[in-house]
Amino acid sequence: MQNKWQQDQWVRPNLKRYRKLLCLVFFLGVITILCGVGLMFVAGYLISRTATHPYNILVVYVPVLLTRAFGIGRPAFKYLERINSHNWVLKITSSLRKRLYVTLESSALFLSEQFQSGKLLGFLADDIDHLENFYLRTIFPIVVAYLTGIVLLIGLGIVSWPYALVMFVLFVIILVVIPLLSQSIQGATRVRQRELVQDSYQRLTDATFGIADWMISGRETEFVQTVRKQDEPAGKLNRKANLFEWNRDFVVKLLFGLMIMVTIGWAALALTGHQESANYATAFTLGIFPLMDSFGAVPQAAEEGPMYQESLNRLNDLSRQVKPQPVKPEHLPAPQSLQKIHFENVSFHYPKTDTDIIQQVSFTVPAGQSLAIIGPSGVGKTTLLELLTGSLVPTQGQVWFDQLPAHDLQAVADQWFSVLDQQPFLFNTTIMNNVRIGNEQATDDDVKKAIQEVGLADLVNELPDGLETDVSENGVRLSGGQRQRLALARILLQDNPVVVLDEPTVGLDPITEQQLITTINRVLAGKTMIWVTHHLQGLNHVNQIIFLENGHLKMQGTPAELYRTNERYRNLYRMDLGE
Amino acid sequence: MFDQQLLSIPGIKKLIGKLSGLAVLQALTIVLEAVFLARALVVVWQREKIAALVVPVLSFFVFFALRYLITRIESQITDNFADHAVDQLKEQLLQQEFRLGPRMVADVGSGHVVTLALEGLNQVQNYLDLIVLKTINMAIIPWIIVAYIFFVDWLSAVILLLMFPVIILFMVILGLSAKSKSDQQYAEFKQMANVFVDSIRGLKTLKLFGLSKKYGDNIYRVSENYRKSTMSVLKVALLSTFALDFFTTISIAIVAVLLGQALIVGSIGLLPALIILILCPDYFFPVRDYGDDYHATLDGKNALTEINRILVIPAPHSEVPLVDFQNWAKDSQLDVRDLNFTYPQADQPALSDLNFTLHGDSNVGIIGKSGAGKSTLLNVLGGWLQPDATEKDQPLVVDGQAVDSLAQPAWQKHISYIPQHPYIFAGTIAQNVAFYKPVADKAAIQQAVHQAGLDKFIAELPQGLETVIGEGGRGISGGQAQRIALARALLDTERTILLFDEPTAHLDLETEYELKQIMTKVFHNHLVFFSTHRLHWVSAMDYVLVMDQGRIVEQGTPAELKQKNGVYQELVNEIRGENNAE
Repeated sequence: MQNKWQQDQWVRPNLKRYRKLLCLVFFLGVITILCGVGLMFVAGYLISRTATHPYNILVVYVPVLLTRAFGIGRPAFKYLERINSHNWVLKITSSLRKRLYVTLESSALFLSEQFQSGKLLGFLADDIDHLENFYLRTIFPIVVAYLTGIVLLIGLGIVSWPYALVMFVLFVIILVVIPLLSQSIQGATRVRQRELVQDSYQRLTDATFGIADWMISGRETEFVQTVRKQDEPAGKLNRKANLFEWNRDFVVKLLFGLMIMVTIGWAALALTGHQESANYATAFTLGIFPLMDSFGAVPQAAEEGPMYQESLNRLNDLSRQVKPQPVKPEHLPAPQSLQKIHFENVSFHYPKTDTDIIQQVSFTVPAGQSLAIIGPSGVGKTTLLELLTGSLVPTQGQVWFDQLPAHDLQAVADQWFSVLDQQPFLFNTTIMNNVRIGNEQATDDDVKKAIQEVGLADLVNELPDGLETDVSENGVRLSGGQRQRLALARILLQDNPVVVLDEPTVGLDPITEQQLITTINRVLAGKTMIWVTHHLQGLNHVNQIIFLENGHLKMQGTPAELYRTNERYRNLYRMDLGE
Repeated sequence: MFDQQLLSIPGIKKLIGKLSGLAVLQALTIVLEAVFLARALVVVWQREKIAALVVPVLSFFVFFALRYLITRIESQITDNFADHAVDQLKEQLLQQEFRLGPRMVADVGSGHVVTLALEGLNQVQNYLDLIVLKTINMAIIPWIIVAYIFFVDWLSAVILLLMFPVIILFMVILGLSAKSKSDQQYAEFKQMANVFVDSIRGLKTLKLFGLSKKYGDNIYRVSENYRKSTMSVLKVALLSTFALDFFTTISIAIVAVLLGQALIVGSIGLLPALIILILCPDYFFPVRDYGDDYHATLDGKNALTEINRILVIPAPHSEVPLVDFQNWAKDSQLDVRDLNFTYPQADQPALSDLNFTLHGDSNVGIIGKSGAGKSTLLNVLGGWLQPDATEKDQPLVVDGQAVDSLAQPAWQKHISYIPQHPYIFAGTIAQNVAFYKPVADKAAIQQAVHQAGLDKFIAELPQGLETVIGEGGRGISGGQAQRIALARALLDTERTILLFDEPTAHLDLETEYELKQIMTKVFHNHLVFFSTHRLHWVSAMDYVLVMDQGRIVEQGTPAELKQKNGVYQELVNEIRGENNAE
């Protein structure tokens, strides 16, 4: 735990970086509580003092003034504290967001399948929100209560150290012992609760997706019970946790009762020497009441701490996985000078595994020609593409771009490769901006021309705002085919020599698919195309087909050759055509 | 201010009764606690013997403890109530989900349903936990305290009483002005969060276009802009809390000073003055407590409204029951006559004037472009959608019986449904196969598994049929999932009607090829509806419905359609494009 905290890169650096504002927040927090205490303290004194019938109100002029000052000060400081703490947390959020982005950006992970699903990304974005709460709900109240406790104890120590000692013990019980106890008893429960919630999310989602089967199976009671049964452990845990909290809060209240009794007792023993000092008895006693709110919240805040641990761990794990940025070698050839891409006996296996996903694969693609890679799912087609673009390095053999290994191009990959995959990502902005991502220097006319070429001009003209129309989040307003065309327009603007097509037509209906393939072939003519697909449709135009199975090359040749010589290819081809 | 929906929750009146009783008790303990504390303080002030302290101090402690014991009991009662109410709601929600079925769940959004059933209900629980108790406390406790103060010193009581409407007034004024602003801010916040998630999700794209580095600063800038605009709103929004705080503390200060003046002239004794001073914060506490949590409860209130909305969505149901339908047989006949279906809130019908007749074990292909109405038709045939009501004849005729809808248990127990991604629930393969028929014996399961072509797959698994799949179990491929769904349909021999909705759209060609060999064998002895846009399946069908924009534009046997050289042939040509391999 200690060690983890030392290595933390998400909470600690921010505490340091914005420490001035942070200190202000703590200061305001402490002052707020002290004003509350002060108000009751002075009011208590005021009443006791006036009860001795002084000859003139001026005698209590200072307490009267102070009462008003504390009365105004408490809400004012509280207001300032809340404004500043929110400001601080939002500042932190800005830099956490940037940090998360930069971490992900540089992480070698980011091409992996896990990330593409978007689920983990959602988690990480949530984690940032969780950290916000960690500051506001755990760190701030605890630190402010501790600082206040210390200030009060020093004050009391000056008045009477034996009394201060007793109060110290009570403070320690409320601020340290009970929170620690809470954390050790409830911390695990909280984490477990969160896990159970995750579980039930998963299962309920599962059941909801299968609702058709449940419905026609006629097993209604069982459906309800299956889902409900999963709630039982969570429900039990909740009740247990609540019971603990109620009892704990009650005990904390009793401790405050005890504190008040102790104070009265001490006042009766120590302050009754003179009437003047006896006037302070009420002041000390009433001063305790405002502490009940702020100190009483500490055990709860401490208890919630471990809940954020998971988020923090996940973020820190991410930081550890960051790989160094690829170094850009000097004297790189211009992308347009490419003559051929050559796979030379390439084999690949992931670290810590022995099975080669790609075994001894060799082929050559001359610049300007096209290659199709086909084969069933999960045979390493995607791995082959990652080797091609240099994001993976072969364990044996080499991928050559003329005389250059592919991974040397990593740092300048965005000038060599364009990628069109299954689900092109559209940003939540206008069509214009989405296309211009391809080349930020492109003029409006360039963008229009690209859109025209991919066959979207009619669609854009029909839209009320034309190119300035927003595609709503993740492009849901556009159909699958239209989204692919938009992404294709980007690639046209990017104008790189090598285009990788990673199953871009999956999920489209055959007519849309056919139309898209025609467009792709037309607009990308002259570029080196590497095309991964599991349909044979539209492959007649490619120069070369390789058939991948279990990491091996099974067939290789032109479409016509394969159709003539290979029966398996012929069967698949016929089925795909619907014969 | 009090949410009317709450009153419809069973047991709420009893809860209100109990809590009101406890609130009265609590107010009494608060008063007594203050009285004894004041007495003890007076004893100290008068510098009497310590022995005189024992009774008042101990009495104080007893009432102090009682007061918080009541708080604890209140929490428990409220929580039990909320627990129970949320439990009931969850059950109702699940039952409703079951009744509404897949199509309606898709309309509401499956993610939304899940979120509501978990997070939404949590928020409702929180709402119930807070709102009832705090409203009652606010409605009872301050008034008992102020009534008591009135007897002690009427002037203080009047000041406290006057402050109350002022506080409420300021809360309302500031709350209203802040609310519209903060609603707007909330929308901006959502958008900001979306921009962030958007850019992380699109990171790969940005990287591919060499823009990812630059974008990091953009994120920071957008986030900072958001912070600044939020802060300007917060400065106003937090004023309502400030007003609440300000008026409560300032009233305490005023009362204290007034009491001081009264003490100097001797018009009040120390004991009553102290009692009033001690009671002051407690007088304001319930309203502050309510104000603090008010915003926290809004989510719960909205969630409750949303759940109630879903609970009243009408489920598909049949007015005319299908009687005497035993099972689909060789001589069975289904007539569809002028069938129309319109989605709620849609202008255009999704299916219009469908007419066709099927006999016995037909294999019916439903083809057409995306959005032609293929899935909608399957959903009507599965009984998950209710055809539009007609004035003339009922649109569906099963074995001569005209019915208004196929949402009939007698029909549904004979159908199987195999979508693109079949539902594999967490459990063993055997349990998954036996989903429709949990009592099936092992031999029957093995037979079904064999028919679905799963023998080889299962033989490779160390645990065989007992291998756990689905969530948390072994992952299985799309092709295997289809086969398991097929085995599930085959095991229950009562299920003679098979509905397929694009079962192979996402599979690679070879997997599809293998699956096709298995499926075509199964098609015999079943009434099959097979929606697809992969046209090679048509050769395995003996009747085809060609759909376009919610209508059947052509129907007949594959041979007939080919001969007609109409819409179907057009579709075929379009799909083949310019293909000419030879």
